[in-house]
Amino acid sequence: MNRARLLGLLGCVVAATAIADESVVNSPHDLSARSPHRIRAVNEDQVCVFCHAPHNAAPQTPLWNRENPETYYRIYESSTTDARIDQPYGASKMCLSCHDGSLALGNVLSRPVSQPIVMTARTMPPGPYGEDADLTNDLSDDHPISFRYDRQLSNVDHQIRPPEVVTQDLPLGVHREVQCTTCHDPHNNELGDFLNVTDEYSAICVACHDMDGWRYGSHAVSNKRTPGRVVDPRQRLKYHTVSDNACANCHRIHSAPKRERLLRYVREEEGCLNCHSGDVARYNIAADIRKSSSHDPDPRTGVHDPAETPFTMARHVECVDCHNPHASRTRNIGAVRGTFGQIVKGPNENVPGITITGRAIEDSRFLYEICFKCHGDGLFRPRIVTPRQITQTNKRLEFMPGNPSYHPVAIPLRRDASPSLIAPLRAGSIITCIDCHNSDNSRFAGGTGANGPHGSLYDPLLVRNFDTADLTAESAQAYSLCYGCHARDSILNNESFSLHRVHIVDARTPCSVCHTVHGIYRGQGNAVNHSSLINFDLSVVTPADTPQGRRLQYEDTGRLSGNCTLTCHGMTHINFPYANAAAKSTSARLRNSFPGVKR
Amino acid sequence: MKRKTTAVGASLIFLVSFVCGLAFADLKGSVHDFSSPKWKGVDQCGVCHMPQTKEAVPPLWDTRVDLSRRFGKMSMRKADPGMGTLACLRCHDGTIAKDATGAAIRDIDYPTMASPLRFGMGHGRSDHPVGVEYPQFDPEYRPTTFVLAGWKVTLPDGKVECSSCHDPHAFSGEKYLLRMSNSGSALCLTCHKK
Repeated sequence: MNRARLLGLLGCVVAATAIADESVVNSPHDLSARSPHRIRAVNEDQVCVFCHAPHNAAPQTPLWNRENPETYYRIYESSTTDARIDQPYGASKMCLSCHDGSLALGNVLSRPVSQPIVMTARTMPPGPYGEDADLTNDLSDDHPISFRYDRQLSNVDHQIRPPEVVTQDLPLGVHREVQCTTCHDPHNNELGDFLNVTDEYSAICVACHDMDGWRYGSHAVSNKRTPGRVVDPRQRLKYHTVSDNACANCHRIHSAPKRERLLRYVREEEGCLNCHSGDVARYNIAADIRKSSSHDPDPRTGVHDPAETPFTMARHVECVDCHNPHASRTRNIGAVRGTFGQIVKGPNENVPGITITGRAIEDSRFLYEICFKCHGDGLFRPRIVTPRQITQTNKRLEFMPGNPSYHPVAIPLRRDASPSLIAPLRAGSIITCIDCHNSDNSRFAGGTGANGPHGSLYDPLLVRNFDTADLTAESAQAYSLCYGCHARDSILNNESFSLHRVHIVDARTPCSVCHTVHGIYRGQGNAVNHSSLINFDLSVVTPADTPQGRRLQYEDTGRLSGNCTLTCHGMTHINFPYANAAAKSTSARLRNSFPGVKR
Repeated sequence: MKRKTTAVGASLIFLVSFVCGLAFADLKGSVHDFSSPKWKGVDQCGVCHMPQTKEAVPPLWDTRVDLSRRFGKMSMRKADPGMGTLACLRCHDGTIAKDATGAAIRDIDYPTMASPLRFGMGHGRSDHPVGVEYPQFDPEYRPTTFVLAGWKVTLPDGKVECSSCHDPHAFSGEKYLLRMSNSGSALCLTCHKK
């Protein structure tokens, strides 16, 4: 007996120490007059009575002492959710009896309606950026509740874990549905916000949400600090580093300004640029996208939708079109230039795209597949700037295998490469879109900025200068884009086209007058008239008067030789032939070094 | 020897009368004070107790009413109310007319026990469960030793009954015949680890 009493006493002591954080007493849910919090009763000193009554409670399981609100709620909607979300019911409805801000806090069933408990605040005080406690009757800006979380859901959406593997600390409702009580324990504020599982590293979120690539993503592992200045000024983040805050860096679980997908910012890019403006993240993308030629996400807000199909989507560009913030991570894009550089890695992982054959895929394997979403078969492609013999706005077709000539973005060249290529580029090399389209201050261009086509001073979003105006004086700067891969010395020494120097230096003709850049679609041009990316700029080159009529034509007559029929700069060529003396030897040299490459 | 026994007996009688005096001092004027004029003609103790007969079971409950009947679904848990609880519910389930106790009262408005003292209205879900085993190993509840250590809350036969929280003799003088003050929900938090 003595031992039992001693144990009891010990129990008292232990319980008294444990009561401090684990108990509802003194938590924000302690509405009694002794509560240290702002919202409390004036006289009533019981703690439980605001929700529970031992007798004559509502016939609901936890002896519920409150009316259920009869509010009709606006519920969460999203184009990417597969859950069937109902009007709130069950436990959630009980929480909403205070937290929708409609019913008086002191209005309990154990008292007559005329004598409610007198409180310091009649209803839950509003305040969109205050305590977040008033959810209002608009639940479309809150995490959905009252939906069934079962295998059916996790089977449809592979980014939702099967319910069996979710921790038991996150209990589902009677019918296996997510309710307020799944995440919150109204009696235990040990972890803050009455959470069942800590939200540090967003552990409570990733218990159910299994986002592709999140585990190693930069936003999950970065220890960069998010000091007060750069986080949402309307609500401070709870923790100090990117990885600690995790999901909360971009998402707000309740009262999110951007309802769909619960984002902190209405404008999509603001959520990214909040940190990626040189303050938290290493690179200042905000400066890049303000340049004259940029993928500027600013003008179109609310157009992007993760469920969109690239073939029919309206014109827009957002950060998340090319980046998946869940999976993005820091890693060099390519190892050696011209080898595997185009395989998607690091910043662009887990982004949908369009393959070279025009098929939509969920997870791009190559960088160009991401570009093809907008610059391929999309309805809103950039307009033609330069009038040419052959015009094509579908970049996917321009890079198709089997085309008469193309830059080797999707597949390597079958023909001998240009003799001007700078090592390690060679026949069989692969280049990427961002070899040419990149920010002008990117590391790729020798600067300190981020790689990638964010923004450039050189139109159209080029990594280096590329003059296309007629009568441009040749210089390393004028065509520095081309000279990045095609050696200036080689070009001007006529190692490829024997008359390059005459045309470029003497006649001051830019590269773009004779060559198109991306490729010639095989449905439009043939290997005789459009090899070597020849596609004349019609604003400079005009047809020549010949006995057979007006003709504008280039004809390939063998490696590094051909003839032209055209009028340009007042000069008329009719079947004007050229051939490179060094062609034979160069060709033989190339063949010897790469026996697999056939002419 | 005889004197000693007498002394012990005298002191025992003194003790009992002292305790009873304390107890019934509180009962006097409480809501269970059946000696008030309103309950004229009623045996003050006889509403609940009866003299030692073969029909009575300790502590002298009146068993003339069928105590074996069940009061709906008592709760989600399996409930088996004890004698004490059934004695309370004799009146508090609102099925017995007040004058069936022998009282000469003519309360037309409330011939039986009325809300809010009439329990069991929500088919057992509106009221705290009674007649259930105390879940002493459930982490959401405090251990039995803790509960009983305060010498206030009782668990007759290890069960939660009406008398766990209420003292029909109003010994503590608290509101609602509670065994201890519920200020700060102290009574609730004796068992509930919330």
